[in-house]
Amino acid sequence: MDRAQIVHDNFLTRVARRDLPEGAPPRPGLSGPEAVSLYRSQVLSRALDRTSRAMQKAGQGFYTIGSSGHEGMAAVAHALRPTDIAFLHYRDAAFQIARAEQVPGQQIAWDMLLSFACSKEDPTSGGRHKVLGSRALMIPPQTSTIASHLPKAVGAAYSLGAARRHDPEHRDLPADGIAMCSFGDASANHSTAQGAINTAGWTSVQSTPLPLLFVCEDNGIGISVKTPKGWIQASMEHRPGIKYFQANGLDMFETYAVAKEAAEYVRTRRKPAFLHLKTVRLYGHAGADMPTTYLSKSEVEADEANDPLLHTVRLLDQAGAMTPDKALKIYNQTCARTDRIAAEAATRPHLASAEDVVASLVPPKRVCKPTNGPSAGARSTTFGGDMRAMDEPQPMSRLINWALTDLMLEHREIVCMGEDVGRKGGVYGVTQKLQQRFGPDRVIDTLLDEQSILGLAIGMGHNGFIPIPEIQFLAYLHNAEDQIRGEAATLPFFSNGQFSNPMVLRIAGLGYQKGFGGHFHNDNSLAVLRDIPGVIIACPANGADAAKMLRECARLAREEQRVVVFLEPIALYPMRDLHAPQDGGWMTTYPSPDQRIALGDVGVHGAGTDLAIVTYGNGYYLSRQALPELEAAGLSVRVIDMRWLAPLPEDALRQATKPCRHVLIVDECRRTGSQSEALMTFFCEESDGIPTARVVAEDCFIATGPAYAAPLPSKDGIIASALKLTGVQP
Amino acid sequence: MTRTAVVICPGRGTYNKPELGYLHRHHSDRMNMFAAFDAIRAEAGQEGVTALDGAQRYAVGKYSRGDVASPLIYAASLADAQSLSDDIEIVAVTGNSMGWYIALAAARALSTQDGFRVVNTMGTLMQEQLIGGQLVYPFVGDDWVNDPARKAELLADVARIDALNGHALALSIDLGGMLVLAGNENGLKAFEQSQPVVQERFPMRLANHAAFHTGLQAPVAARGRALLGQELFAQPDLPLIDGRGKIWWPGATDTEALWYYTLGHQVTETYDFSRAVQTAAREFAPDLFIVTGPGATLGGAVAQSLVLGNWQGMADKAAFQARQEAEPLLIAMGRDDQKMLVTG
Repeated sequence: MDRAQIVHDNFLTRVARRDLPEGAPPRPGLSGPEAVSLYRSQVLSRALDRTSRAMQKAGQGFYTIGSSGHEGMAAVAHALRPTDIAFLHYRDAAFQIARAEQVPGQQIAWDMLLSFACSKEDPTSGGRHKVLGSRALMIPPQTSTIASHLPKAVGAAYSLGAARRHDPEHRDLPADGIAMCSFGDASANHSTAQGAINTAGWTSVQSTPLPLLFVCEDNGIGISVKTPKGWIQASMEHRPGIKYFQANGLDMFETYAVAKEAAEYVRTRRKPAFLHLKTVRLYGHAGADMPTTYLSKSEVEADEANDPLLHTVRLLDQAGAMTPDKALKIYNQTCARTDRIAAEAATRPHLASAEDVVASLVPPKRVCKPTNGPSAGARSTTFGGDMRAMDEPQPMSRLINWALTDLMLEHREIVCMGEDVGRKGGVYGVTQKLQQRFGPDRVIDTLLDEQSILGLAIGMGHNGFIPIPEIQFLAYLHNAEDQIRGEAATLPFFSNGQFSNPMVLRIAGLGYQKGFGGHFHNDNSLAVLRDIPGVIIACPANGADAAKMLRECARLAREEQRVVVFLEPIALYPMRDLHAPQDGGWMTTYPSPDQRIALGDVGVHGAGTDLAIVTYGNGYYLSRQALPELEAAGLSVRVIDMRWLAPLPEDALRQATKPCRHVLIVDECRRTGSQSEALMTFFCEESDGIPTARVVAEDCFIATGPAYAAPLPSKDGIIASALKLTGVQP
Repeated sequence: MTRTAVVICPGRGTYNKPELGYLHRHHSDRMNMFAAFDAIRAEAGQEGVTALDGAQRYAVGKYSRGDVASPLIYAASLADAQSLSDDIEIVAVTGNSMGWYIALAAARALSTQDGFRVVNTMGTLMQEQLIGGQLVYPFVGDDWVNDPARKAELLADVARIDALNGHALALSIDLGGMLVLAGNENGLKAFEQSQPVVQERFPMRLANHAAFHTGLQAPVAARGRALLGQELFAQPDLPLIDGRGKIWWPGATDTEALWYYTLGHQVTETYDFSRAVQTAAREFAPDLFIVTGPGATLGGAVAQSLVLGNWQGMADKAAFQARQEAEPLLIAMGRDDQKMLVTG
């Protein structure tokens, strides 16, 4: 028999018989009406679980991961304020429902049923995502299945303190708020979760404000794998900087009392706390999961006998708040009500076309206060001696540094964070002096954890900041890329544009470093970024472009709420010369702060029509080096710097290559998965048989030492390929 | 089989000439209840509702006054709510504006007589102070199709006028396809001059109405709280939906908060009747929406609120009418032909 039905029948018969599980008497703290209100939230959560299964059976519903057994979370919601940003575990329907009771005018049953039905009228995601989430309730929709929401919860908590010092224009969270995140005992083992908890403690012991409540809902099992007895307590009880609280999640009175104490600690001390809530899981993991296939019947029945709703009925009676008969009446009325609403919700329309689904990938633009930029005096004070150097050509690293300085001067909501970005000024000096100029709270030296760096950025983006996180080397992105792929990029999509986490993610990367290296400092694969919908990727090849593009990236984040990756070719940071030593051919002067290069604008050098070389980054530099020899061979050539790798600047490429008879793609990334594949496809689909070829890196990692560039495109390789493609003899 | 229903109590402006004698015609079996109301009126030296209802002549100047209309509407509406047939299960109660007080009594958060005291006191206070006035203006056309842009435009105009020196104007009630605006004379006049006349009668002033549900009523709210204590308010027996769309649940209601909302926020802030009706639909999905008498004018606002909320896919007036014709969804007890569908 269906365990959901067994739990339901148990409830009806045991309440009617007053056969209620034993437990401690109700702790003080909740008034009668408050307790009944929480019970109502718990019952609605349970009724929705039942309804979701019925809807699925009828082909009307598409989500059956339930909250049954975790209804104690209603009391946690009651201990918090509805403006405390909550990143919820997927079993927290009761939390969301109880929070809805704190905000007048919510239609929570209807809203959640629209979500079960994946109706495009679902106010959470417009029919794109799963059930939990609400703008009005400050619950960002997300996926919490792999605990990837914990790093951003740390970031959001950090933003609360930061906003007290630098109030951002689009601040979303109140100054006295706290952040909360919840997760299961099994997902607490994810390295992402462990990293976030570690970061919270690391931050807290340095007395940096971090008002964050971790809530671990410990039902003792992750799908079919049991958590070792006492594991959560043993591993979390003595974390430095994080105060541990524990409550019986089956007892709503106790849960409320402890959660309130924990929330108060977090709110007044501005320090993180860990609330360990013991729960049970009823019905198995999700609709199709049968717990009796991996648990003994007696184990399943023991959890069912401890149904938190039965405990609540007992506690309400003991507290004199409500008789079991009335509680049973509420249960039955709620089930009937939910069935009626579900019947209506199931008729509401779904998303149909690709266009419908895609519509929320890009967040809406927002209005920002106009700014005239910093005064000449302010710039002069901030830049100091650098002002004098601005008239002289400079390498790219300096120009990026100056562009960052101007941006941070103009927009106080810009915050940089990363490993060694502050005191050291970055491994390559790109962020030098920024911490002296803007303080350690705007140029944050983080711990060595990329997930936490990106989580910090996402969380701060939630609260109106424009984070510019730095990933020290491209190869270090990979242990954290899900923070962009699964979290930052999906937020506008899953929230139907209601939430955003804009940022400009600076990554130092790509190959060709002569004296330093090996794969981990010369990674040349962008594949992991290229296919993420909605993410913009910029890659400048010289200093002036870098400054102008970085300004555009900051504008895209600030005004259009976009997630932008700004990929800086490390080998070009210090590059001074193009063709010969001391020619200074790759240095530029600093463009005035009002100059930008718009998203999608490509750079075109030359006007030749025999051959268009389409490239970016180091490939652009090498192609420019190759140019004189190609011209000497009689070819008229133009070299096109894509600048923007995603979305592919199709219109501009079409225009720029239109008069050309050949196209050579030069891509320093690998043959497989590189930009060159997209470009080949594009030119194949676009141009009527124009001969196209590519020069790419081998499908290989980069070696340390003299062979650092061996698998990469070279000037000579470009020349050879160009001549071969055009059929010109050297 | 029981029919589930949300009961909706009307506000001011529903006891007009055709309603004279409503209590006697429809509720002669409830004269004891009305007599108790008369006794409360007598304490204050006011004419009883039975006498008012039994009068030979209807005089607008008299019957549109707050201290006369309010108790009559309360008596008629509550009597209607109490006379529904046994097969109707009331799943929630709501009301429009003054109808909120009646809803409180229909849900038994106020006793029948205490509800009367609240209505009579507030109606009298409003009449005594008569601060500002109200007008009605539609933001949808005859087809009731939602026009959020027009609504936003009108509300922007309201905000513009309110910001002018010596002018006060605010949204009083979100009433289906209508905006009920309230303010001082300058504010109302400015709006009338600013917007074109539509449907030959709007903007329409509401005689003897004050600037209900705006900050101008703060003194009335304060006086009301001084005269009407928290102890009058009890746990409702039925879910109550207020003028924000919030549901006050039986057993789970903070009665002090209910008192404060009723004689505070509700008096001085916009009353979102559309949201209340939409909450009724979405959170209770009843078989029927029953608007009690007197009068039937609120039925239009209920229907429009459902259409604006796209309830059951109804997006315009024609869709609503087709639905209503196929199987009535909305019952106006102020209409004899519909009343019989839910009584007896």
